[in-house]
Amino acid sequence: MNDCVLEARGVSVQYPGTLALSNVTYSLRRGQIGALIGENGAGKSTLVRVLAGITQPTSGQLVCDGSPLPQSGVEMAARLGIAIIHQELNLCPNLTIEENIFLGRERTRWGLIDHREQRRVTSQLLGRLNLAVDPSLRVGDLPLGQQQLVEIAKALAGNVRVLMMDEPTSALSAHEIVTLFRIVRELAASGVAIVYISHRLEELLEIADTVTVLRDGRLVAEAPASEVDVPWIVEQMTGRSAASSQAAGEVAVTEPILTVDGLTLFHPHGRALLRDVSLQVRSGEIVGLYGLMGAGRTELLESIMGLRAAAQGSIALGGKALDKLDTSERIAAGLAMVPEDRKTAALFPGHSVLSNLTISQVGALARRGWLSPTAEQVPGQQMCERLTVKTPGLNAPIDSLSGGNQQKVVLGRCLMTAPRALLLDEPTRGVDVGAKEELHEKIRQLAKEGAGVLVASSELDEIRALAHRVVVLSRGQVSGEFAHHAASDEALACAASANGAIQEVRT
Amino acid sequence: MTLKLLQLRALLVLLALLAVFAALSPAFLTTGNMTILIKHVAINAILAIGMTFVILSGGIDLSVGSVAGLAGIVAGALLNKGLVLTKWGVVVYFHTWLVILIALAVGALVGAMNGWLVSRIRVAPFIATLGTLYVARGAALLLSGGATYPDLAGRQELGNTGFLQLGSGTVVGVPVPIVFMVILAGLGLAIALRTPFGRRVYAVGGNERAADLSGVRVKSVKLWVYVISGFLAALVGLMIAAQLASAHPATGETFELNAIAAVVLGGTSLSGGRGGIGGTIIGAFVIGVLADGLILLGVSEFWQIVIKGLVIVSAVVLDQLQDRQAQRAVALLRSNS
Amino acid sequence: MNYRWLGALCLLTLLASCGGGGKKSIAIITPSHDNPFFKTEAEMAGARARELGYEVTLNSHNDDAHQQDQLIDVAIANRAAAIVLDNAGADASVASIRKAKAAGVPVILIDREINVNGVAAAQIVANNYQGASLAAQEFVRLLGEKGNYIELVGRESDTNAAIRTRGFHDVLDKYDTLKPVGRQSANWSQTEAFQKIETMLQANRNIQGVIAGNDTMALGAVAALKNAGLSNVVVVGFDGSPDAIASIRAGALRATVLQPAATIARMAVDQAHKLLTTGSTGAPEKQAIDCELVVAGNADQFGVFARKESK
Repeated sequence: MNDCVLEARGVSVQYPGTLALSNVTYSLRRGQIGALIGENGAGKSTLVRVLAGITQPTSGQLVCDGSPLPQSGVEMAARLGIAIIHQELNLCPNLTIEENIFLGRERTRWGLIDHREQRRVTSQLLGRLNLAVDPSLRVGDLPLGQQQLVEIAKALAGNVRVLMMDEPTSALSAHEIVTLFRIVRELAASGVAIVYISHRLEELLEIADTVTVLRDGRLVAEAPASEVDVPWIVEQMTGRSAASSQAAGEVAVTEPILTVDGLTLFHPHGRALLRDVSLQVRSGEIVGLYGLMGAGRTELLESIMGLRAAAQGSIALGGKALDKLDTSERIAAGLAMVPEDRKTAALFPGHSVLSNLTISQVGALARRGWLSPTAEQVPGQQMCERLTVKTPGLNAPIDSLSGGNQQKVVLGRCLMTAPRALLLDEPTRGVDVGAKEELHEKIRQLAKEGAGVLVASSELDEIRALAHRVVVLSRGQVSGEFAHHAASDEALACAASANGAIQEVRT
Repeated sequence: MTLKLLQLRALLVLLALLAVFAALSPAFLTTGNMTILIKHVAINAILAIGMTFVILSGGIDLSVGSVAGLAGIVAGALLNKGLVLTKWGVVVYFHTWLVILIALAVGALVGAMNGWLVSRIRVAPFIATLGTLYVARGAALLLSGGATYPDLAGRQELGNTGFLQLGSGTVVGVPVPIVFMVILAGLGLAIALRTPFGRRVYAVGGNERAADLSGVRVKSVKLWVYVISGFLAALVGLMIAAQLASAHPATGETFELNAIAAVVLGGTSLSGGRGGIGGTIIGAFVIGVLADGLILLGVSEFWQIVIKGLVIVSAVVLDQLQDRQAQRAVALLRSNS
Repeated sequence: MNYRWLGALCLLTLLASCGGGGKKSIAIITPSHDNPFFKTEAEMAGARARELGYEVTLNSHNDDAHQQDQLIDVAIANRAAAIVLDNAGADASVASIRKAKAAGVPVILIDREINVNGVAAAQIVANNYQGASLAAQEFVRLLGEKGNYIELVGRESDTNAAIRTRGFHDVLDKYDTLKPVGRQSANWSQTEAFQKIETMLQANRNIQGVIAGNDTMALGAVAALKNAGLSNVVVVGFDGSPDAIASIRAGALRATVLQPAATIARMAVDQAHKLLTTGSTGAPEKQAIDCELVVAGNADQFGVFARKESK
């Protein structure tokens, strides 16, 4: 009997400008838990989307139960019993648990929703997940971890043959993870094929039967989980031996420019996003901030910028306390930040390259309240040259630039205010390899010129290429600090996934 | 780039309307009619200038019509109760000016209330200004007891004459409302395009989070756009009261819709960050020319409403098509680079 | 689950309202009080009802038939003894009034009729047609039976706008020497009347008269004509509002007809009282009360929608 439920054969996906997947063959077997590993942008999500029928492959085909699928599509995938649990929740917070689970496939009687039947099935599902809550509660009123379990219940409500889970544990408590793992094993035992994506390597090794590693859109390694360890995975992910880390040089010890002391931040629902975080960035130094998804990197940078009103603790820049200042005052004091999500937090769509560059400085560039065209163009032009932004012109709409050049404009905007400390959140996300190198070079240069730089990244490569020193966050707490020479991939990966939850599972 | 095209399109619609009405009605292209027409446009255009700033910042101001009504009633009350004030021996000329200033301040204050609700309390602009729409209208009714203040001409012996100049006066032969519109349009254009404040309004409407991260004081920008809108609405209320020589508490009902229509016709995106004053002025002219021309032709009220609606809808449809085209062009640019 | 609570709440409200008692109440529902006409009629009816020992609720439906329906529901639920209603539309109001009748609450209509007989206990309205004829006759007299005139019509969906314009034309159309040169709706609004007259004057400045479907529009026309330097144009309005009467005294507006709103309101309450005490209003269902002409010569005799001595 052929155990292969679903197979992607020689699949490639071409996006404008990048090859997201290159000739990947990947098969899912009945009852097997397959871990899918890779750095951000390695192609994991694209592969999952292809398997779920959301993305059409440019070439290659999907094979189901030994016969090729004529065409793929979301409905087709649903009919075949392929379910996907996304990292971001796909629930309507205003509806009840029961309504969410049956959304789009309501059980009806005489054309009316049969709430009794729905509630019965829902209670069964929740019972299976050890979730003792009333099905008529609104999803928005549940804590995040329970919402995640509802999402899983929703996937289980259908007839599932293939279940794909993208970072399912990022919001779960240790207790909930134990339950989840039990469910996953039960499902596998009943013959469901499972694809499990996570950045938490220890967690993967515990649950998975096989490990598959993707790098730059190619499948680079595949092995039974029992035969591999964390250093092997890291080596396959990055393409380098874990031991070999190149030198980025030391930095002269200077006064700290940015000091964060005892920073704590609670989620509105009560969960701690950051707990007692302290760190320092010295003038001329690049500090890497490493951590897994949900470790609190972005929250930390946003708290430093004053975007999180609920943050407690003290932040000082060059000895001056920032705690009582709002974001614009912190920027005036010498802070600047390149946010993680360019589209939603950095760009002004439809506006020109020039106005995107100068917005932070319009007040200072104006003479007697008046912005003359040259007052803006001269510094704008200079910044474009300094950062080698490729643009048809200063008045071209920002949307017409490539991701890398857009990112340079965002960086340029920060540099316009001549910041003393610069916060970068995933500075090269969605940027092609060449531009990435260039951006790294600019960042190093900035530090040489005396700025303190704090770079948050989930890519080990980037951390190693930039940081003089690395601070690792795990579940909102500092879990390790490494000088450059001590920051091996393995050490960082261990520190990032070393947390209470996993240890509890192990014992 | 796209912006220029959008404005051009509104301009083409305007020119087409002018041509059609000129051909159908001999009275249309006369100096007299044009003066009257522009005077009527001025009312809506001045409201729409304030509305443009609000919409550019990503908000909306539904209260402008009520604020216009309230400002007229405040002025009416102060002028009609001038007797009380004259007992204190207030200087004649100063008095009328003071009345105008107080009414304008009331408008700015209501605007500030809108801005405070939207920026500090984070009430959705639609809801906040809908609330002030009712509050301002109610205040106008309370102040006047539902009645009209009939005679705003003032009296020589009380020394509060001159208010009517605001509506029916002229400066070198040009009616005052037109003078106001020209000055305010120029000022609005300059502020929008060539001052830090204008740039920040565009930034807040374009991407509020990014504006915040770029050091823009988002709350203060939002506050000020509503203050501007309230101030201009009050000015419009005063001009109408001066034209009619009386203040009626129901004045200005549905004015907000005409102002929003002018802004949208002018190519400003309702989601904020795109568009501008120039387009808005053209949009106000499209609406004004349409109303004036159809009256001259003796078209029935019902048809006037239908035609106005059709023009607005088709302009927005064109807007959508153009947006899609622009996006395709950008995609093309990117794939080539 | 939530619906169950809602149901219980409704039941409770009903029970509570049954438990009331003591004084009988009359619900008075009219269009928005921002028009002094409706304000007067509501206040007059309210004052008369209190004199007769009733509790009074005053509400406004803002010319929205749906809102009117809700207000009538409330009145029924509160066990009102009678409803005095200036309705929100001749056809749109029938069902609501029928509902009240079925619930045993008699409805007395004032100011505006409905298109059905036998549903309302009484329909007491100003004779709009007679008033319009009166206004038109005075208009003809003031113009010396000749000249060009503009007509401003009220909101064209309003029954009274149609009746008044018919009343005007049944008189005016008899004179070949009177030429209608423009007809526009200004939706009862002063600002609209002002702007529309300004524009129409551009097409034709040779105007001797403006006849308007209500005083508000007439006053807008007066302001526009004054600005255009045409102060001797004859403007005639309708309603007899205090503003209009003041304008007639000042010599700007030349005539209006007064709707006896105060009288009608008092009559409505009196008939409701009679119906509740004797079982009959003592009058036919449809009653049309004549309007009175107000001109410069008699303007001093009129107060707020009534002759001064009748108050």
